[in-house]
Amino acid sequence: MPEIKSQSMAAMAVAASALRAQQGRMRVIAENIANANSTATTAGGDPYRRQLPIFRPTKVQGAEGVQMVRVDPDQSDFKTEYDPGNPAADANGYVKLPNVNSLVEALDMKEAQRAYEANLNVIETARVMESRTLDILKK
Amino acid sequence: MGPDDIPLFGMLKSRLGYLTERQRLVAQNVANADTAGYRPQDLKQFSFQASLMNQTSGAVYRGGVAAPTNGVRMIATSASHLAPSNAPSAWRATAGADSETTLDGNAVSLEDQMIKMTNARMNYDAAISFYQKSMTMLRMAARKPNG
Repeated sequence: MPEIKSQSMAAMAVAASALRAQQGRMRVIAENIANANSTATTAGGDPYRRQLPIFRPTKVQGAEGVQMVRVDPDQSDFKTEYDPGNPAADANGYVKLPNVNSLVEALDMKEAQRAYEANLNVIETARVMESRTLDILKK
Repeated sequence: MGPDDIPLFGMLKSRLGYLTERQRLVAQNVANADTAGYRPQDLKQFSFQASLMNQTSGAVYRGGVAAPTNGVRMIATSASHLAPSNAPSAWRATAGADSETTLDGNAVSLEDQMIKMTNARMNYDAAISFYQKSMTMLRMAARKPNG
């Protein structure tokens, strides 16, 4: 990441850090959706556990940007389904299913997209303001 | 003597500085729109009157030092005086919730921030236009009569 000096450039750097964070969040959401049906490979084992991105403010050129610091597992309970023929079924014939809810993931995805667009807007505005300042030099 | 020593230009510069700072804070808030527990920041309303006071009262001190364009600055009259670490600015960032706070304690409302951003941008455009017009006037005044 190159060092950018001016004030309005700091705004761009902050927005850029947010774009990266939202990008990372999208990756986690994609992982969750992709694994919405990933059951265990051993009998009675735990299936895929939904992952949650954790955001923290972080210093970006003297301003507060954002960073995806880590990914935490969602501790909510697994749903079970009676399917004795499944290799992942326990002694009673129940299979644990991942705690991924496609509807929740779709909503999260929409929100990530909205935040991404808002940050693009910030960059565009900072750019226009900067170029208007440079316009003073004209004429 | 540069354009900044003319009070009008000094005030416009101060105004532009305020708007740039505000835009930076909005960028910060939007970036943290999904950070748990984050409270958005904003600048206190820019006071034209306060800026004007700084312009007129701070004036010139023992020949030479120009009036500060943003905030009051300590003036050193001897080489042995300690220099202030950095001049305080006329505006201050304050934290406060937007119209809504989510369950995870995040108080940033993207809609509110977008409005603030557009506002800052429009005001910035206006101030820049004002600056350019004043420059044009200066040039007109400096031109020889029949040029």
